[in-house]
Parts: sequence; structure tokens; C-alpha cells
Amino acid sequence: MTRYILRRLIYTIPVLLGVSLIIFILFNLVSGDPTALLLGKNATAKQMVELREQLGLNKSLWLQYLDVVKSAFTFDFGRSWQSKQEIMHMVKMGAYPSLALSIPAFTISTILSILISLVVAFYRGKGIDLFIRILCIAGMSISSLVYILVFQWYFGYYLGWFEISGFEQGFPNFVPYVALPAIIWIVLSLGPDVRFFRTIILDEIYQDYVRTARAKGLGEKTILLKHVLRNAMIPIITYVVIQIPFLILGALLLESFFGIPGLGGMTLNALNSSDFPVVKAMAILSSVAYILFGLLTDILYTVADPRVKLK
Amino acid sequence: MKLFGLILLIASFLVGCSKEQNFDERVIYLISPEKIAGFDPINASDMYSSNEMGKVYEGLFEFHPLKRPYELMPNLAEAMPTVGDDGLTYTVKIKKGVFFQESPAFKGVKRELKAEDFVYSIKRLADPKLMSKGWWTLDDKLVGLNEWRAKYAQAEATNYADEIEGLKKVDDYTIQFKLKAPFPQFLYALAMPYSFVVAKEVVDFYGKEFLNFPVGTGAFVLPKFEQTNRLVYTKNPNFREKFYPSEGEDSDIANGLLADAGKKIPLVDKIVVDIIVEAQPKWLGFKRAKNDLLEVPKDNFQEVIVGTRELTDDFKSKGIRLHAEAQLDVTFISLNNQNDLFKDNKKLRQAISLAYNRAQANKLFYNDTAIEAQGVIPPGIAGYRKEFKNPYTKYDLVLAKKLLKEAGYPEGKGLPDLVVETRNDTSSRQILEQFADNMKDIGIKVIVGQNTWPELVNKVTTKRNMMYTMAWGADYPDAENFLGLLYCPNQSPGSNGANYCNPEFDKLYKQAVVLQDSPERTALYEKINEMVALEVPWVFSFNRTKYYVTQAWLKNYKFMEFNHTQFQYLNVDLEVKKQLSKKF
Repeated sequence: MTRYILRRLIYTIPVLLGVSLIIFILFNLVSGDPTALLLGKNATAKQMVELREQLGLNKSLWLQYLDVVKSAFTFDFGRSWQSKQEIMHMVKMGAYPSLALSIPAFTISTILSILISLVVAFYRGKGIDLFIRILCIAGMSISSLVYILVFQWYFGYYLGWFEISGFEQGFPNFVPYVALPAIIWIVLSLGPDVRFFRTIILDEIYQDYVRTARAKGLGEKTILLKHVLRNAMIPIITYVVIQIPFLILGALLLESFFGIPGLGGMTLNALNSSDFPVVKAMAILSSVAYILFGLLTDILYTVADPRVKLK
Repeated sequence: MKLFGLILLIASFLVGCSKEQNFDERVIYLISPEKIAGFDPINASDMYSSNEMGKVYEGLFEFHPLKRPYELMPNLAEAMPTVGDDGLTYTVKIKKGVFFQESPAFKGVKRELKAEDFVYSIKRLADPKLMSKGWWTLDDKLVGLNEWRAKYAQAEATNYADEIEGLKKVDDYTIQFKLKAPFPQFLYALAMPYSFVVAKEVVDFYGKEFLNFPVGTGAFVLPKFEQTNRLVYTKNPNFREKFYPSEGEDSDIANGLLADAGKKIPLVDKIVVDIIVEAQPKWLGFKRAKNDLLEVPKDNFQEVIVGTRELTDDFKSKGIRLHAEAQLDVTFISLNNQNDLFKDNKKLRQAISLAYNRAQANKLFYNDTAIEAQGVIPPGIAGYRKEFKNPYTKYDLVLAKKLLKEAGYPEGKGLPDLVVETRNDTSSRQILEQFADNMKDIGIKVIVGQNTWPELVNKVTTKRNMMYTMAWGADYPDAENFLGLLYCPNQSPGSNGANYCNPEFDKLYKQAVVLQDSPERTALYEKINEMVALEVPWVFSFNRTKYYVTQAWLKNYKFMEFNHTQFQYLNVDLEVKKQLSKKF
């Protein structure tokens, strides 16, 4: 397994080179000269020339690409062109609120979805199964923006149960601020998650080993929780773990509407202001997280199913 | 049962996650709709950063919080400057006994403000290594400053010890500025956040992190900028003796704006600023008394306002007050005057302007509250003449069609599709869809091009556009700041994005901008404004009105266009807050 992990880690190198190249090409093709934007409405041509020089945009493309590669491997992304803040510090400051919202919301929604899926699988074909499936489809058919606007108005403003928006650093200070967006996250996730997990569990339920367990006289609950769930874990792990890197990026709409200073808003701001160093940092960090969590998924397979061997 | 119990437990924990109001301290709750980049004054290029900067830092001058038209008054300066006979030398005495806020950079010593701090701060603004967004305020203005900047453009480091002829410390409490040429707007530059004073020790101590450790002489203290969405300022315990003004406009007494006259400021203990981008949470927060001052979101206009100036009964019953003020701004559809279509075809430009139904746009997008712009200069700035009506801003399809025919495109025949560039947000698109629909009536096909902000800026600065939409807000209350948008040497990538060049305009502009504020200058500004209005280099759109609501307990608020230092004058009536909060 060690060799497998090492090999997968070595694969990170070409992936990072590729990601750096794609970001660099896109930035140079799409966003054009950022200096006018960075200097504001009163920019002069002379200032723009000076700034291009200072940002290193007058260097050859090859040297500029090397700078991108260097920062991809050293994680030294420098400072934001727009805010002049140190990027790794910005990422740390943004990751905390994003994770304060996404970790509890994601954990609860995943556990709830699995539980509900087991219940509907247990009652498959019956009224409750149909009812929950209809609920899931109805829930998925409504735009996330509608949930945000309605929940914020009703629970935050009308009933006054939650803070309408804002964020405070440190636990438990942030709890009043993330409670309502976390509930919305859970509600939004339940529809697609329950449908997906239900399908996986139903696939397992019709397997031979389940028939064998029933023939041996095991109860339906024991079969579901002990045997079916365990065998369904591989697709569930794949589905769940691969989402984790995106949790760090936060939930853009939720963060924006609830005033949570997370990474989602930071990335969007960077895109809107041609802040290439920040865009570059977020793309590279996301790629690394994606690779690492992909690897973690593979390792977890061996835990969930001892028959799986990593070679 | 266990599961039910657990759900109840979680629910009881979550419900009540709303915080209680605080009635023990005088706290002002404000909203900023945009992220704050940091606390380095030389980069305070937008009004939101400027507002935050003005709570901690100060400059030599500030705008009077009550007098209108806007008037400069001394802030850290002892008095307004004395100007030499040559009209070029400005001598400013600064107040004695003013101290910077505490900082580890001062190593436990109380640090007094000196003239050299201003010299240092202005050199920072010019430092080519720091690339300030505010350099334009002093570019080519002070003797020797551009040369100093050029000297260090390619160097490893900038030497602040160099003497500059146009920027001198005369003694510890006197600064002297020497201008290259008359520039009456210079004092405005010294009231802008770009030139707010910082201490060299603090900049050196924090290095690149200086922008997160604001240490000024201002009324409020923010020990560290944490880059979060909440900024909490506390009253500066060592703030100098500064008092609430005793003069204002006639209506200020009736509006209770002089009730605190002569009292030492700041009048509140804390200011809390929440950064909230979206309109709904801001608005719901105001209705729940979570914030004290808010610009009315356009989608909630009907909920708050009856007609154009009257609050609805629900809001009146809570003591909420409405402040409606014309902004010093102009919105326009810029025509690229270097494009072959528009370059020498004034009639085509005029025809387009005549076919634009501004009344319809006003109703659709501004709740009928905006003023139809007649020229470049907005109301409230010397050079705007209320009686002047631009004949090409009326809605007249017959005349538009006639001019279009004379321009060589009868019923639009032979005219290629016109592309008008804008930002990719809903409002911009809606505004231009209506414009495009209007143009159809005279046979012109307009295509709306949507762009990200960087794309739009690039298309403008590289002249790769036919037309684009923009709004321009005043940096200071002088027509020069607006007319410069059509001055030929400022063409793209400068601020003249219309690339309009008219030798007659340029000649008059150069004459006007060097004159001191006087009836002669106002007459010249009026002449230029009206002359260029008839040329239609832009399709003039609107001068917008802003609507703010304030809670009953927020005292001393009067709309200010340049409100960087306004917050130190605000007050909170805790008794009123206690009584009225029950209604929310």
C-alpha cells in the first residue's frame, strides 16, 4: 500500500504542472491586462505601464509560467494584487468560516441522508418510500436561492429565531450565525443525497448475500445495518469523500447571503477583479485537495472492504 | 422516543440563536456592502474603504458635516492654508498636541503628530514601489514630486530622506506645498483618504502587514484588521479636543442636527460595521433594528416610500427617518468617438440620444426618482445650470428619425448593428435592453454585450468598443472632476473612455481648471458643459438620487457625498432605542 500511496503522490506533480498551465493560459487569454482594473477609475497610461512592470507582466510568457509553477510547488502565492494581503493568510482566514459552516452541515446532512435512505429502503415500494421520493424530487426542483430567501425571511426575520446574517470568529460565537445557513444546506442536500443513497442500498438489497442472510433467519434491521450498509459503503465513501475538497471552497450563495467571510466569496471576488494570484492559489489548492482526498477514498475502501487491495 | 428527544434538544439549542440588543453602550451599527481590502490610506480608492479609513485616520482638511454646498474645513490643520502671492505656495500650520493612537511601534512613548509625518505620508502616496491608486491626485502637481517618483521607479528601494522642493516641512508644525501650476482643486486632494497621515515607525514596524494594523490620530481605534466581515471600532480614549460644529444650514436646527453643538466628539462608544453584500439580509436586518443606517434597496422602495419623499405609516410609527439626496454623479452611455461611425457624425449621436426614452427608464429602474442628465456636470456642483435643457435629451422620435436620415442612415438603413457593452449583472442588462428596444423605433439595432468587470474595463481602456455604459461619481465637488472625462489628453486608457477630442473644449477646459472658485470660473464651466452637451459625446442618462433610512435613535445623520469623517459626529439616543426597540 505504501508504494501505491507514493505513486499516487508522485502523480501530483504532472497534475499540478497541468493545472498551472491551464490557469496560466486561461488568465492570459481571457482576462487581458489587469492593470486598469487594479489602478482604478483614474488610472493613467503611464501608471499602467509601471504596474505591468512591477507585477512582472512584461516578462516573457515562459518566465511568467515558471513563476506559476514555482508557486504551485512551494505554496508561496505571494500577495493579492487587489487587496495586497498575503494570500495564504487570506486562505486561512477564509477557510475557518467556510468550514464552520460546511463541516457540521455536511456531516449532519450525510448522516441524515443515509438514515433516511435506510428507512425508505426498508419500506421500499410502500407509502413512506413514495412520499419521501416525491419530497426529494420536489425539494430538488426548487432553486437553492428560493430556500435561502424564504428561510432567511421566515426563520431569521419573521420568527426571529436566528441571526439574519453576520459572523463572529471562535466557537461558540459563530454558532448563531451558521445555524440557519447550515439548516438550509442540510435541506438542500437531502433531496439528491437520499435519492443517490437509496439507489445504492436498493442495489445491495437484491444481492445474493442478503437472500442468504434472510434464509439464515436474520432480521431485516440487522441485514440492513450490518450487511447492506457495509457493502454499500464503497460508493457512499466515493460520493462523500470526493465532496470534501469542495467544502473548503464553501457555499458561495449561502456565504454571500449570510455574510459569512468564507473562501467562496473570496474566490469570486478574485475572479471579478482579475486578481490572478488569488485565482491561481485557489485553483492549485483545490487540485491538491482533490488529489489527496481521492487518495484517502482509496485507502478508506480497504477499511470498508478488506477484499480491496491497493497495488 | 429517543430520536424525538434528540431533535427537540437540537431545536431548542438552535432556536434562540438570535442575539439580544445592547442598551448599555452607545453603539452605532453600520453596513458596508463591499469587502474592505485593508487599512493603508494610499489604497483607499473606493468609498467603502475610505469610510473605514476615516474612522481611524485623519487628514489636514475635511468636509464640513452640515454645510452645503460642500465646504472644506481644517481637521488636523490649525486653519485653512495661506496661499502665496504666486498662487502656487500653500503653507499649512498643523494642530499642536495631537497624538497617534497607541502602538507597540512607539515602544510605550506617546507619539505626537508632526509636520514631517505629512511629508512622509504624501511621499508614500508618490512612492513608485507602493503603486497607490491615489497617485492621480498629486500627479504632476507638486514641484519635484514626479521627478522623485521617476528617480526610484527602477531602483531597489525608495529614499524618503530626499528633499522635495514642492513638499517641505518648515518646522515641526508647518508644512509647505509648492505647486507647478495653479490647481485650485489641490486642497481637495488633502482632504481625501489617500493623504491621511500615518507614522513612519508604524509602517516600518509592521512592514507589509501595515495594512492590517491601523494606527492613526482619528476618533476610533481598530487594533487589528482581521479580514472578517465584522469591524468593531472603539472610541479613542486619547482623542484630542474636537467639538461638534455649531454652524450648519438653516434647516439643521429644525432637524435637530445642532443639538450636540459644542460637545466633544466622538459621541458614541463603539461603531460596529458588518460587511453584507446582498440586499435582502441588509434590509431584513434594518427592519429588525440590527443596523442603524441603510440605503433603501431598489426592490424595497415601494415598501418604504410613498411618492418620492414620504415614508409609509409602518416606518413612521417606528420613528424611522428618510433621507433623500441627489448624488453628485452622472450615468451615461458612452459612444466611442474614435469609431468611424460616431467620429464625424454628430447627427447620428444626436439621433440616438433623442430616441432614448429616459422617462420610461426612470420609472422602470429608478422608481421615478432620478434626474434626467442634461450634460456632464451634475446638480450640486458649480457649472450645472438648472435652466439649461439639452435639446437632445428630450424624447422625440420624429426629430430622431430626421437626424438619422441626415446622418446618412434613413430609417437605420446602412447602419451596422451597434454593440453596447455593459457588466453582466441583471440591472445593467435590463437598462440596456430598454435602450435597445427604444432604438428599434428609429430602425437601429442594438446588441447588448455583457462582460465581467475586468472584460469591460479592458474593452474601454483598449478602445475595443462601440458604446458602453458607465456611472461616474464625484471624487470632490468640482466640475473639473467631471469635465476631465471628455478632455482629449485623458482618452483611453485614461478616464476619457469616449475618446472624445474637441480642441475648443480642451482650450476652455484648460482655462477653467486653473481658476479659483469664482463667478468667472462657474460661468466658464457652464459654457463648457452646455457646449459639450449639444455635441452628445455620450448619451446622457441620469443624475441619481439616493434614499437612506435611519433608525429613530441615530442622531446627527445628514447625507454626505464625501463622508469619510462623518461617523465621529453621529450619536445614539439610548432611551429612544430602549423604547422603540420593542416595536421591532
